Amino acid sequence: MEPKYVSAEMRDYIVSMGAETVNWCMQCGLCTNLCPWRLVPGETSEKFNIRHMQRLGQMGMEGFEDETVLFACSTCGMCQTNCPRGVKIIDNVRGMRASIVGAGMAPANLRPILGSAHANGNPWSGPREKRTAWQEGLDVPAFGPDTEYFLFVCCHSCYDPRSTKAARSIVKLLQAAGVSFGVIGQEESCCGESMRKLGDEELFQKLAQSNIELFNNKGVKKIITTSPHCLWTFTNEYPELGGEWEVIHYTELLNRLVEEGKLSLNAAQGKKVAFHDPCYLGRHSGIYDAPRALLEKAAQDGTVELSRNREASLCCAGGGGRIWAEVPMGERFGELRVTDALEQGAQVLATACPYCMNMLIDACNSLDKQEELEVVELSEILAASL
Amino acid sequence: MEKKIGAYICTGCGIGDALDVAALTKVATGEYKVPVCREHAFLCSEEGRALIRADVENEGVNALVIAACSPRVMVDAFDFGADKAVERVNLREQVVWSHPAGDEDTQMMAEDYLRMSLTKAKDMEPPVPFEGENLSKRILVVGGGLTGLTAAREAAAAGYEVVLVEKSDQLGGYARNVVKLPPMAPPYEEPQVFDLEGLIGEVTGSDKITVYTGSRIEKISGAPCMFDVSIQQNGSQAAERVGAIVLATGAVPYDASKLEHLGFGKHPDVITADQLEAMFKAGEVKRPSNGQPVNGVAFILCAGSRDPEHLPYCSAACCVESLKQAKYFKDANPETPVYIFYKDLRAHGNYEFLYKQLQKDGVFFVRGTVTGVDDDGAGALAVSAEDVLTRSPILSESVDLVVLATGMVSTASLGKPYKAQQPKEGEEELEVPADTILASNLLNLEYRQGPEIPALKYGFPDSHFICFPYESRRTGIYPAGTVRAPMDYSRAMDDAAGAALKAIQCVEMTAQGKAVHPRAGDLSYPEFFMQRCTQCKRCTEECPFGAINEDEKANPLPNPTRCRRCGVCMGACPERIISFKNYSVGIIGNMIKNIEVPEEDEEKPRILVLACENDAYPALDMVGIRRAQYNPWVRVIPVRCLGSMNLVWIADALSKGIDGILLLGCKHGDDYQCHFIKGSELANIRMSKIKETLDRLVLESDRVRFEQLSITDYGKLPEILDGFASDLEDLGPNPYKDF
Ligand code: SF4
Ligand code: SF4
Ligand code: SF4
Ligand code: SF4
Repeated sequence: MEPKYVSAEMRDYIVSMGAETVNWCMQCGLCTNLCPWRLVPGETSEKFNIRHMQRLGQMGMEGFEDETVLFACSTCGMCQTNCPRGVKIIDNVRGMRASIVGAGMAPANLRPILGSAHANGNPWSGPREKRTAWQEGLDVPAFGPDTEYFLFVCCHSCYDPRSTKAARSIVKLLQAAGVSFGVIGQEESCCGESMRKLGDEELFQKLAQSNIELFNNKGVKKIITTSPHCLWTFTNEYPELGGEWEVIHYTELLNRLVEEGKLSLNAAQGKKVAFHDPCYLGRHSGIYDAPRALLEKAAQDGTVELSRNREASLCCAGGGGRIWAEVPMGERFGELRVTDALEQGAQVLATACPYCMNMLIDACNSLDKQEELEVVELSEILAASL
Repeated sequence: MEKKIGAYICTGCGIGDALDVAALTKVATGEYKVPVCREHAFLCSEEGRALIRADVENEGVNALVIAACSPRVMVDAFDFGADKAVERVNLREQVVWSHPAGDEDTQMMAEDYLRMSLTKAKDMEPPVPFEGENLSKRILVVGGGLTGLTAAREAAAAGYEVVLVEKSDQLGGYARNVVKLPPMAPPYEEPQVFDLEGLIGEVTGSDKITVYTGSRIEKISGAPCMFDVSIQQNGSQAAERVGAIVLATGAVPYDASKLEHLGFGKHPDVITADQLEAMFKAGEVKRPSNGQPVNGVAFILCAGSRDPEHLPYCSAACCVESLKQAKYFKDANPETPVYIFYKDLRAHGNYEFLYKQLQKDGVFFVRGTVTGVDDDGAGALAVSAEDVLTRSPILSESVDLVVLATGMVSTASLGKPYKAQQPKEGEEELEVPADTILASNLLNLEYRQGPEIPALKYGFPDSHFICFPYESRRTGIYPAGTVRAPMDYSRAMDDAAGAALKAIQCVEMTAQGKAVHPRAGDLSYPEFFMQRCTQCKRCTEECPFGAINEDEKANPLPNPTRCRRCGVCMGACPERIISFKNYSVGIIGNMIKNIEVPEEDEEKPRILVLACENDAYPALDMVGIRRAQYNPWVRVIPVRCLGSMNLVWIADALSKGIDGILLLGCKHGDDYQCHFIKGSELANIRMSKIKETLDRLVLESDRVRFEQLSITDYGKLPEILDGFASDLEDLGPNPYKDF
């Protein structure tokens, strides 16, 4: 076999693109074994080994650019939260992707998505002027100088017909609790979290800058996000770019309002409900209790825990840009999640992330279990309990 | 002094409930006519001991037979002074706790044990400690490097006089060459300055330490507390008398000229780690080929180590040493490309932080086998390797210097094997494999077995690193630092302190006539009844500790302060002339003869068990403590070491009608667990002789069995004992029974 060449230049380039801790990795392999890809069969599972991919990165060696490998990670954080060396594995994934995508070599299937985000400010090929279509029939206040909270609705919930239900439910809940909030509307852009994870650093910067300018001009101080992904990037990535606000996920805010007696919920959900912790809400943001407390209030017949829960929750596979990946049936993490729920005797699987909704509904359908298990956004259950 | 035996039977701990104590008393007072015999419900209590003490004081009782718990417990409670012989009958663990109460056979067992102990008490004497002449408590430290200096300082700080001998003109050894040591304090991320001059100053400035530089040991004769040392110093001679010795002669780097496959000798820019350290020390780190600065370096770890072609072992320090040197480069210029090629990175303990730091510094760590160090065509070098972690061959970028982290070779291993005396024409070939002794010219002992300490694997003079890390196989001589095993600086300093303490323990114990190790505190020692010696040399050859020298007529010359009191010589001696005051061929033989052997038709077989005191006997106690049961036919005699077993015991037992003999000793062979190194192995060798005895008696060889057992194997003992009993049943009774 021809030797592969070690390249300090390439390694340093990857590091400069964001893989700052790639050298810290001592190659123990724990990450590879904790990765949900080990739980499913198939080509990606066989080819993608995060330990090995980082190894290529730390040696500046070719091979990692293979799309099946480079774009496999769903950035679920399972590995990263357990790495004994404290390696920021997801940053390394991002940096390695950026070194390829930044050079104009984004995979073909991602180009339309990145292109749409460039052109329309959202990855769903939705026209800008349709960004507020989800509000139809609701009286959603516009954000003004006297509004306390700016409600930032995830692009997915703006454009995806199923997902708009969540946005609408959240609006109803906020109104019921008398929260001062408003939306900005068409000028809003995608938060860019997934674009950055895909390695399109330039696009992310553009989206973030546009949002930061917009929000700051409008006098935004506090933001409610519908998606944990927006929550995470606003909290962790925007501040150093000049976007410093108090950001809260809707579950946390609603839970606080319930505790303060400003929002009351009557148990209306008559089925056994299980909660799936979204990676970006749970492992990435440490929010486990608020959604559970809310669900407790709304679920008449009680809740059940999935066997993999909280810190050990299993990824739906929708993060890191994987929501746009084509994955054969039988290899989808979401299918495992649906099975988890059925094993616990749940009839409803609730979650609090638009990507998770998307992935879990697909999985439920592909397993043909939609009769046995209903996948819903937590906000929908809560709104029904008003 | 007239011996007066007192027998004391404890009825506590369930003994009284399980046994007919009156019948036991009758054995003592009737059969054995013991003048004083008492029972007590709680013998180890203050009241019980007062009862015994009163007899000692008022009745003149001076030999005590305590029939109670195991001799391994309550040792202090039943100590009535060194001049009183004490013999313990193990009624608790090995009779009532492991056999049914109120049973006839249990009772017979207890009575036999009492008979055996009464016999022993009659035969034994309280040991009288050996008193040497002109005893010295000074400590000789051989080697003035980091380990030797530390040992000298520690011993002096504890109040002992030290003689330090260093072969070169300056103290400091390898450490002189060293710029910094690997980190020894938090945050463990940077090499650390070490004040060698300060340490040297402490040693040379101490009025307790006599320093000989430019010197070597010409010879050492004698024994602990009586070593006479001749020192050669630049042509002149000096003599010192010392009590114990710390051997700290260190290690040397493996000969890199054998590492041509890594480019050494082929490319001038391939150097060794010690050469690099010297460059840093001199402040001139340059490419040997052209004197140009080094703008890229590759370290190759395990250069010669963990390689069956070279040093099969891990040299323990080179991983961390290379990390340290890599840090020198990164500290000087963070941009310098640094590669480390390794097999496993063994940065144990807090050195992990240094490793982590170097990862952060961007060092390329390559795990795998180096396949080539070659010219890159432009005057620099490129290293190719099979990288395990990417599962592919890889090629490094060009570097200016390749550093081989050569392994450590103990200075004790540098010498030809010493040939113990060859058997002369007509003499039997030595059955016992001789120890490896390498004539490394370090100690030059005037010992019959050879001039240095026996080596274990790879020439390291270690004895049993797990159980007794500081011991060698020569009492009073303690190797420390890299001469003993590969280790790094900080471990060598710890090792030095440990060896200094062992040396102190040795001189203190020896001065009181006590054994040092492992029978620490034992006052007995072997005495030779020379009139009957046939100069067969068995004892001198078989003593695992080289305690016995020889005169020109081949008479054994024992050195009691070198002796570990294992009794191997006693077991070896065909004339049975080697005895301890409380342990001899005769004493044990009489114990065997006092076992009652029932007639054949009673169908009560008897099995003699000779059990090593160190592992097998405590394991038997464990069986009792766990209340596991085994057959009541066995009669156990503890032996100091199975190597002290004399064949005449086997003949005694068999001709008396005992049906079988079980020898319980420690594991022998490469991973031996014998406290006396070779005792168990020697017993095994003697087994072949047992066959001759059996043939002579026309008995089946299955009647004698050897089992290797470690203390943790106690769970297997009932099965071993009962299995042997049932095999003997198949053989049928010993035909000598009714003679
Ligand atoms: S768990 Fe961390 S240290 Fe271990 S291989 Fe993965 S990234 Fe490297
Ligand atoms: S973040 Fe999740 S998907 Fe990505 S490598 Fe780690 S465990 Fe696997
Ligand atoms: S064989 Fe044992 S008892 Fe005999 S002299 Fe040697 S060390 Fe001492
Ligand atoms: S281990 Fe061996 S040599 Fe050691 S005491 Fe036991 S039988 Fe003897």
